Amino acid sequence: MASQPDSVLLDVQNVSRSFAGIRALNLVSFSVKRKKITAVIGPNGAGKSTLINVITGVYIPDSGGIHFGGSDIAGLPAHIVASKGIARTFQLEELFSSMTVIENAMTGCHGKTGSGMLACGFALPSARREEKRIREEAMECLAMVGLEEKALEPISRLPLGERKLVGIARALSMKPGFLMLDEPAGGLAGHEVERLVKLIHRLIEQGLTILLVEHNMPFVMSLSEKIVVLDAGVKIAEGTPEEVKNDERVIKAYLGQEL
Amino acid sequence: MNSKHRFSLLWVVFIVGLAVLPFVTPGTYVIGVMCFVAFYATLACGMAVLLEQAGIFSLAAPTFFGLGAYVAGILAAREILPPWAGIIFAALVVAAIAYIIGAPLLRLRGYYLACATFGLLFIVEIALAQSGEITGGHDGLMGIPPLSVVGFTLRGDFHYYFVSWVLCLGCLWFFFNMMNSRVGRAIKALHDSEVAASSVAINVPRFKLKVFVLTAVMASFAGSLYCFYLQFTTPSMFGFPLLVELLTMIVIGGATTLYGPVLGSVVLIWLREAIHVYLKGILPKLTAEVDAVFFGVLIVAILIFMPEGLAGGLDRLAHFGRRLLGKSA
Repeated sequence: MASQPDSVLLDVQNVSRSFAGIRALNLVSFSVKRKKITAVIGPNGAGKSTLINVITGVYIPDSGGIHFGGSDIAGLPAHIVASKGIARTFQLEELFSSMTVIENAMTGCHGKTGSGMLACGFALPSARREEKRIREEAMECLAMVGLEEKALEPISRLPLGERKLVGIARALSMKPGFLMLDEPAGGLAGHEVERLVKLIHRLIEQGLTILLVEHNMPFVMSLSEKIVVLDAGVKIAEGTPEEVKNDERVIKAYLGQEL
Repeated sequence: MNSKHRFSLLWVVFIVGLAVLPFVTPGTYVIGVMCFVAFYATLACGMAVLLEQAGIFSLAAPTFFGLGAYVAGILAAREILPPWAGIIFAALVVAAIAYIIGAPLLRLRGYYLACATFGLLFIVEIALAQSGEITGGHDGLMGIPPLSVVGFTLRGDFHYYFVSWVLCLGCLWFFFNMMNSRVGRAIKALHDSEVAASSVAINVPRFKLKVFVLTAVMASFAGSLYCFYLQFTTPSMFGFPLLVELLTMIVIGGATTLYGPVLGSVVLIWLREAIHVYLKGILPKLTAEVDAVFFGVLIVAILIFMPEGLAGGLDRLAHFGRRLLGKSA
């Protein structure tokens, strides 16, 4: 896309993906602008998580293009996509349960560090310096989400709300340009959601671009500048929260739900 | 910080004990047995890291151990390379084999990988037994010279005791450093959640292959030293019985810590010695089957009373003891 304006960071064009004959995504197109919060909403089974998985390379799209910062990333392996500066969290956390909180955050630094197996095994000075830097950076990210005091706790001892924040800290320690949050407010209490809203605003101020996949409607409506609505794998609406709220098809898809 | 401190203190005690042992025990019997403990502990540790930390269910440790022994042994016995160069060459050969085998096999998961590596175990054992001209066949490889480095020849249990334990502790130290670095975190991460590991830019297949090749190379070093220690190898030394012993060591000792498998090999090998020494009068026809019965009972007992192995049990005991002391103080 030569005519693509600079302000677009992620451009998804006509992406389709089927599983055993079921079209989880059907010709979905949308774009994400830099330093803005874009949200993807939709009822259960609409294809929201599939969309994230296709963008991050967990699934390969059957057809369509995905451009990130001008380069085509469709079909690349997940670790390559991640190394391009695309971070994500998971709906079901997917934290590393055998590690402590800070170790989880430290794994985020993996892509930007390079000590090899031998350097690490023989504890060469270069590897030790890098390890110290990783620890400091991970600690900064934990501080950003307000978990620095829990750094040495094992993951299993944290309540759900804090585990979600560890997932965000792990993503942040990748120093990404683009962050995808998969249902970050799912299962959180009211005050925890408020904390999350503040955090997301702070991240945008720091220049991050965010794609939000969410069920929690008031949360999405208050945060997002643009909302993409999926239903049964098809994009049925796109626009500002106001536009989406009054769209006939969206109301129909969410029949009975107050937006 | 506190637990790390305790950890190093435990190791200091262990290493000092090992260093003093040859000078306080009469004859060479004890240190001779301890040589076997060191070789087996090296293997068991590598295997435990693969199984427990990386979640790679590979049963190929005896195979790489045997290949390391045979490659170095053949090169030295035929006077193609001096023993020390043979050890390095064997490690390179084993690394290449592990890489070629690992690249396709590590795509398999869990039981499927176990089956495939289990097959490898038998294939290599049969190949060694059937290549009589090169390997000496079933009768074994004879005429392996002792290890000599820059004019100094290692002879007897005393020398090999130190060399084998330096190798074992060296491997443990390497694993300890590695598991507390970005590489170790990547290995633990891909075990916990592959999809999350790749989401933080960890190349999952590559790190699986790396740790697989690493443990193969360590097994090869142990195997090469083993063949120079015994000056004799047979294919059956690297077959199914060794695999069972290694798994027993890991279960007895516990795989979650690095010292667990070491503890397991100390206990298993000395238990076997004790069975042979004390039960010979009662059961004169003592065979490997009797060992198997004892180890079977031991495994069941461990799994019931200490599911995390001796190391886990000791940790709990220490924790309990500290709480008790803390309350009385």
